[in-house]
Amino acid sequence: MTDAVRPWSCPFCPLLCDAFGVVRAADGSLALQGSDCARARAALAHFGPATGDDRPRVHGRACELHVAVDAAAALLRTSRQPLFGGLGTDVAGARALYRLACDTGAICDAAQGAALTEGLRALQDRGGFTTTLAEVRTRVDLLVCFGGLPTPRHPEFFRHAGLAPDDPRVVVVAPSDDLFAASAQLAALVEGQVVDGASAELQALAQRLRAARYAVLVYEPARLPVHGALVIETLQRVVATLNRSTRAAALPLGGGDGAATVNQVFSWLSGLPLRTRNGPHGLEHEPVCFDAGRLVADDAVDLLLWIASFGPAPAPPACRLPRIVLGHPGMAAVEADVFIPVATPGIGADGHLFRTDGVVMLPLHAVRPEPLPTVADVLQRISAALQTERAA
Amino acid sequence: MTTVRLRGGHVVDPARQVDAVQDVCFRDGRIVAAQAAVDEDIDASGCVVMAGGIDLHTHIGGGKVNLARMLLPELQRKEVARTASDLELASCGGCAPGTLATGYRYVEMGYTSAFEPAMLPANARHAHMEMGDVPVLDHGAYVLLGNDELFLEMLARGEDFERIRDYTAWTIHASKAMGVKVVNPAGISAFKFNQRRLDVDESHVHWQVTPRQVLQTLARALRELGVPHPLHIHGSNLGAAGNIESTLETIAALDGLPAHLTHVQFHAYGNEGPKKFSSAAVQLAQAVNDNPNISIDVGQIMFGQTVTASGDTMRQYAQSHLGSPRKWIGADIECEAGCGVVPFRYREQSYVNALQWAIGLELFLLVNDPWRVVLTTDHPNGGPFTSYPHLIRLLMDRSFREEQLAKLHPDVAAQAALRSIKRELSLSEIAIMTRAGPARLLGLADRGQLGVGAAADIVVYREQADREAMFATPELVFKDGAQVACAGRITAVPVGGTHFVEPEFDRGIEKRLRKHFADHGQVNFDHVAIGHDELCRCCRGGRLLPAACFEGRPT
Repeated sequence: MTDAVRPWSCPFCPLLCDAFGVVRAADGSLALQGSDCARARAALAHFGPATGDDRPRVHGRACELHVAVDAAAALLRTSRQPLFGGLGTDVAGARALYRLACDTGAICDAAQGAALTEGLRALQDRGGFTTTLAEVRTRVDLLVCFGGLPTPRHPEFFRHAGLAPDDPRVVVVAPSDDLFAASAQLAALVEGQVVDGASAELQALAQRLRAARYAVLVYEPARLPVHGALVIETLQRVVATLNRSTRAAALPLGGGDGAATVNQVFSWLSGLPLRTRNGPHGLEHEPVCFDAGRLVADDAVDLLLWIASFGPAPAPPACRLPRIVLGHPGMAAVEADVFIPVATPGIGADGHLFRTDGVVMLPLHAVRPEPLPTVADVLQRISAALQTERAA
Repeated sequence: MTTVRLRGGHVVDPARQVDAVQDVCFRDGRIVAAQAAVDEDIDASGCVVMAGGIDLHTHIGGGKVNLARMLLPELQRKEVARTASDLELASCGGCAPGTLATGYRYVEMGYTSAFEPAMLPANARHAHMEMGDVPVLDHGAYVLLGNDELFLEMLARGEDFERIRDYTAWTIHASKAMGVKVVNPAGISAFKFNQRRLDVDESHVHWQVTPRQVLQTLARALRELGVPHPLHIHGSNLGAAGNIESTLETIAALDGLPAHLTHVQFHAYGNEGPKKFSSAAVQLAQAVNDNPNISIDVGQIMFGQTVTASGDTMRQYAQSHLGSPRKWIGADIECEAGCGVVPFRYREQSYVNALQWAIGLELFLLVNDPWRVVLTTDHPNGGPFTSYPHLIRLLMDRSFREEQLAKLHPDVAAQAALRSIKRELSLSEIAIMTRAGPARLLGLADRGQLGVGAAADIVVYREQADREAMFATPELVFKDGAQVACAGRITAVPVGGTHFVEPEFDRGIEKRLRKHFADHGQVNFDHVAIGHDELCRCCRGGRLLPAACFEGRPT
C-alpha cells in the first residue's frame, strides 16, 4: 500500500520545490513523484524503513532522551567557548538555538558558512540588486549562469526558470575560466570600455547584456573560488551598470541545509548575521575570525555542538573537541560524546525554510509519523536543563 | 483574580473625553469600574495615566528590515552593549534593531502595539515570524497590493470590480493582514519594465493602467469589504521635489473614499526657491483639513544615522546615490512587489534635511484635527522609533522647538514657516496621536482607551516639565494587566497577540489564482494561505486577535 503526499515542500536544496509529491510505501520508505531530481532522490533514500536503535547515545551507549539532554547541558556548562556548527535546522530550531547561544556565549557558524559569508561580505561592502524565481520565469530575456550550469546542485532550477538549459536565452560562463578575470572583464565591457584580451564570447555577452530588457546573473557562492566575494561584487557591478539604462538583477543560488534560514533568524533576533557571539561585551560579529573551520584548527573553541537534521551529512569536522551532535539517525556512527537523533523538517516534522532568494519562506510538512524529537524540542530541553543547573 | 487600582493619577483618555484626576482599576487583563476594595493599590498621584501607545506605521518585521540588519554591521556593532534586565536576550538597538530589542525599547517607552506597514504576500510568513519575535507588543501588518502583476492585469483587462475585490479579500485572508497598503501605485511594477517615473495620471508602460485607477479600485474594495483600516497609501514620487502635486492628485483621486496617507512628510515638497526644493506643508495640511476622509501619519525625520527600507524600488533606486554609507540593496520580488534599502544620514546643516525636519513638524501643527494625524517617524526611514520622546517635546514645547530650529541650515532657520507657528500640542492631543487616534483608525475598539471593558494596556508617566524625559521612561507599563516595565526596566516578557481581519469573499476566485500562481512559477497555491494554526506557530503561540469588519457598502 502506498500513500501519496502532495504537495510536498522538498527541504533538500534551497529551491524548495513544492510542486511535486512523495509516495510513502507501507514500510515507511519514501519516493519522489513528479520529478526525477537526483538530489531529492538521493536525500529521500536516507529515509528508509526505520531500522536499528534510534535512541540517543552518551559516549556511544543508548539512553533515554533526558539523560542525553542532561549530559549535553553538563558539557555546555563547563565549556568556556562553545562552537555551534552545522546549523542544519529550520526556523523553530534556529529560534531555540539563539536562546542557547545567548546563554552559553557560543559562536555560531553554518556548515555552509564559508559560502554564506562570501555573499554576506559582498553585501556588507557594496549591497546588491537581486531578483526572485517568479520574476525570472516571467521576465528574463537573458540568463547568464556565471561559473557553470546550476543543475548539478540545483537540478530543478531550469524548471523554475521556465527555460530549457539549451534555450538561446541561456548563456554559461564556464567554471574553468578565471572567474576573477572573467567577471572583471565583463564589468568593464558592459561599461563600454575596451578590454584587451577579452574573449570574443565575453564581448558578445556584454553586447547582449546591454541589449537585454531583463537580464539575470545566476551564480552559486559555494562554487566560487576562495575570495568569491570579489567575484560577487564584480557581478553586482555589472548589474548596477546595466540598471542605469535597462533592467537587470542577480540571483544567487545557495543557503541550503538551513544556512540561510538560521542566518535570517539570528539576524532578526539579534540584529546581526551569523558568525556572531554574545560575548562579555555584548554581541560580537566577526565574519572572518568566527569561521568554524578556523576556530577548530586554532583550538580557539573547547566544545562543538553540531546540528544536521536534513540527512547524515554534513558530518562534523574531524577534531578532538568534545562533541554534542543533534542529527539524522544515520549519524549514530559519528563519534560524539552526546548524540541525539532528531526529526527532519519536511519528512518527520513540520517546519519552515527560506528559499534561495531570501524572500519566500515555505512551510514544510511531515510526510510520515515520527517518534524522534525536533531540533527545537531538544534545544529547549537543553536550555531548560542549563537554567535548572544554574538555579541549583 | 487580582484587582489593581492606579490611584489618583491624571488620566488622559481622549476617546472618552477624560482629562482629570481619577482612579483606574483593572482585573484579569481588562479595565473594570472604579471600586473601593482592591488587592493592590498603586499610588499614581503626580503621574499621567494613558492607554498603551500604538504605532500604526513602523517597519518591525519582514525581509527589508532584515536586509538592513545584514547590510550594516558597522552601525549595528555600536549598539550591542545594552541588556538592562536578566529577562532580555542580547539584541542590537540602533536604526535597525533586532526584533527582541524592538520589543524591549518600545515597551520601555510605554508602547504596547505596533503595526508593520509593508508585508509582501510572498514574505508574509517571514513578517509574522519576526513580529512574533518582538516580545510583549501586539502586532499586525498591512499587505501590499497594487503592484502585483495579477492586480494590474485584471485592471488592464477591465475585469469585473467584484473579482478584483474578491482577490483583495483573498490576499488579506491568505496573508493574515490587518489592512492593505499600496506603495507607489503601479510604480514598483513599472520599474521592472524600466519605467523610472510614474505620475498619478501617467500610464504604466506595459499594463497601461494609471496610479489613479489603482488607488480608486483598492480604496473602494476595502470600503466594500468593511475592512476597518482604510487603504494605507504610500503615494507616487516619494522624496521628489515638487511631489506635492502628486499628493494632492492622490487625495483627489480618492473622490471622498476613506484613505490613510502615510509618511506624508516625504510627499509634501514644492519646487520653489533658489534650491528648487521647498515646503508644501501648508498646501497639504489644507487638503487634509478640507477632506475629512483622509488621515495621515507624518514620518518625521530625526537628525542622525538611520536606514530607509521601502517597497518602493523605483524611488529607492532614484535616491540610492544619496545614501550614507554609500551602499544599498534593491530587489524585484516575485511578480508582486520590490524592495529598496538605502542607509541615510540626516544632517542639520543640509538644507534639504533641515527643510524635511521643518515640514514634518509643520504638518503636525497645521492639521487641525488630531484624530486624523498619527505620530510616526516611519521607523526606521525618518529615524528610529526611540526618538519619539524627543519628537513629542518638539511638538509640546515651542521654545525647545525654536532652539532646535536655530541650529539648522541658516536658510531654513531663517525662512521656515515653522517659525511663525505658535501651537503647542496638549497632553490630550499627544494621547490622540499616539494611541486613541491609531486605535480608531485601525478599528481596535478595546485598545487606545481606558473605558470599562478595554484591554488593560496602561502607561503611568511621572509628570515632568521636560516632556522628552517624561515620555522616554514611564514609571510603569502594563500589557493586558501584567506589569511589563518599571522605570525603564523590562519586568516581564509575555508573547504579544496578532491582529488581523477576515473579510468575506467569493471563494470562486481561487480557481483563477491557482492558475496564475502556476503560470508564473510562484509557490504552490496550496502553500500560499496561512491558516490559524500556522499563524499561531509563526507568532510563538501568541493570541490571535481577529478584528471585526464593518458592514460593507453593497455594490
